[in-house]
Amino acid sequence: MALLDFLKKIEPDKKKSPFLHTLFDGFFTFAFSPNATTKGGVHIRDGMDLKRTMVHVVLALQLCYVFGTYNIGHQHFVALGMHTGFVEAIHLKLAYGLIQLLPIFVVTHLVGLGIEFWYAAKKGHAIEEGFLVSGALIPLIMPPDIPIWILALSVAFAVWIGKEAFGGTGMNILNIALLARVFVFFAYPTTISGDHVWVSTFMDEGVVKAAAGSVAEYGWWHTGFFNGLFEWMGLDTFRAGATVVDGYTGATPLGLAAKGSWADVTAVYSPSQMWWGAIPGSIGEMCKPAIIFGAVFLIATGIASWRIMLGAVIGCATMGLILNGWGATEFMLIPWYYQFIMGSFMFAVVFMATDPVTAASTTRGKWIYGFLIGFVGLIIRVLNPAYPEGWMLAILFMNVFAPLIDHYVLEGNMTRRAKRLAAIKSTAS
Amino acid sequence: MGEFINTFIRAAFVENLVLAYFLGMCSYLAVSKTVKTAFGLGLAVIFVLFVTMPINWLINEYLLSENGVFGVDLVFLRLILFIAVIASMVQLVEMVVEKFSPALYNSLGIFLPLITVNCAILGGSLFMVAREYNFTESVAFGLGGGFGWFLAIIAIAAIREKIKYSNVPPALRGLGMAFILTGLMGIAFMSLMGIDPAAFSGS
Repeated sequence: MALLDFLKKIEPDKKKSPFLHTLFDGFFTFAFSPNATTKGGVHIRDGMDLKRTMVHVVLALQLCYVFGTYNIGHQHFVALGMHTGFVEAIHLKLAYGLIQLLPIFVVTHLVGLGIEFWYAAKKGHAIEEGFLVSGALIPLIMPPDIPIWILALSVAFAVWIGKEAFGGTGMNILNIALLARVFVFFAYPTTISGDHVWVSTFMDEGVVKAAAGSVAEYGWWHTGFFNGLFEWMGLDTFRAGATVVDGYTGATPLGLAAKGSWADVTAVYSPSQMWWGAIPGSIGEMCKPAIIFGAVFLIATGIASWRIMLGAVIGCATMGLILNGWGATEFMLIPWYYQFIMGSFMFAVVFMATDPVTAASTTRGKWIYGFLIGFVGLIIRVLNPAYPEGWMLAILFMNVFAPLIDHYVLEGNMTRRAKRLAAIKSTAS
Repeated sequence: MGEFINTFIRAAFVENLVLAYFLGMCSYLAVSKTVKTAFGLGLAVIFVLFVTMPINWLINEYLLSENGVFGVDLVFLRLILFIAVIASMVQLVEMVVEKFSPALYNSLGIFLPLITVNCAILGGSLFMVAREYNFTESVAFGLGGGFGWFLAIIAIAAIREKIKYSNVPPALRGLGMAFILTGLMGIAFMSLMGIDPAAFSGS
């Protein structure tokens, strides 16, 4: 109880410095449950409070984080033609990934939590934990080389306009993490689409790209810190001046599919590579087993709705079969079951679509909502030449309609019950 | 049939009148407080667009153009005639609604006759002229544009019903929130922008 005593000692006075107290309270409740008593009204207390729910989602994401860290480094060295084996030079890959991912993670939280804290202090209520999940999701759906200021801007937009304007955690209409990404996508399209953004960091005349002949850029952390450390440990180090090998494009499977056929995709990436995820893409969305682990964890703890996930799978399969049957372009002819492992379908459906705030909340509504996400997402992926991937936009699209779905499901239920009541009354009389 | 479906999908989803062109905003923002009234107004807009678009097409083609019955270029009368057609259709809708659903008539209030000056409707007719649609396409455009408008207004109405219980900052309550919502919905609807249904129909 030493920690509790210590925390009690440093607790700032609520009246004198409300901002500090809010800050303190936010971190205090991570470790302990508060002993404040509720005044007035009826309250139900449950051990599974908002904070626990959020932390469970963050836990479910951990494997994605580990693999994402590794994969940033792995893709970097694959582009250089060095250490192409899966476990080869794993220390370099993890170190490289950490250098890329950590600033993204830290800035996301600084900006997002900063706004959240400020609002909490201003409104005079406890810090809402909603940003924990958004903050854990946002780094995973960004390209590894995103400029930090763009990231900060997008997070600020999403938290401010998407959440605080609506009244804070649990009241937003659109998914915060996706709103941050969609902001980057439309405001700074060159940083998040195309073949060159998914592999990190190569400069060609000052422009980030991974085309053949570009030079790998290393900063102080690589050469000054990690190289010294690895040398001391007797391991391989980062080599300056390495260039991207000839014939390397950095294109993602979907980028290839949009231009060619399934054969063109498999010429570069085999389905098992797409399954295990050691290919270029957003940081966290690649490794399908890690995502399935997260999905099982979320379903087992009852946090995410399996109805939405299953609905989305059915919707995507339905649309995939329709497109297979239609077959007007090469892209449509890609076998429907491969659509699941290309791109970010699983990540989006498991972690984004099931967000309980923005999804439909009635049981029947969840089926409809999930199904339409799968259906619309594949339409956008395959039929819309403007966007390489569809799930981000499909989920935002369905977020808009989720309240409408709920409304009509409820209305339908009410009419049915009213009819039943009328039937009972007429037989009774 | 192919071109009918293409134009319908384009008008309803890809180039939604509200969320891509931001037309018809006044009634969209004012009548979207509950799903029920929004539904009524949405249906009225579908009907008016669906009826006026082909009529306006015929007027434009056979009365106003040089190849029409008068043989003179009368396009300067286009706006007036289009508005006249729209106004008479709205009058009709108003009478029907008043007769069969007085409750809806009362809840729509001034916004039912104001459909006349709803820019989505005149805008739709003018788009039809500018894009040189043929008769089938203009019918499809009327139906699709109306359906898109209907979808947008019931969606925002459902959201507004939901955020009634949210702790929205006082300064943003009501219209402020509706504007932010419209912008966010516009982002969501950008998902379908760029799809060209005609490119896949094989024709």
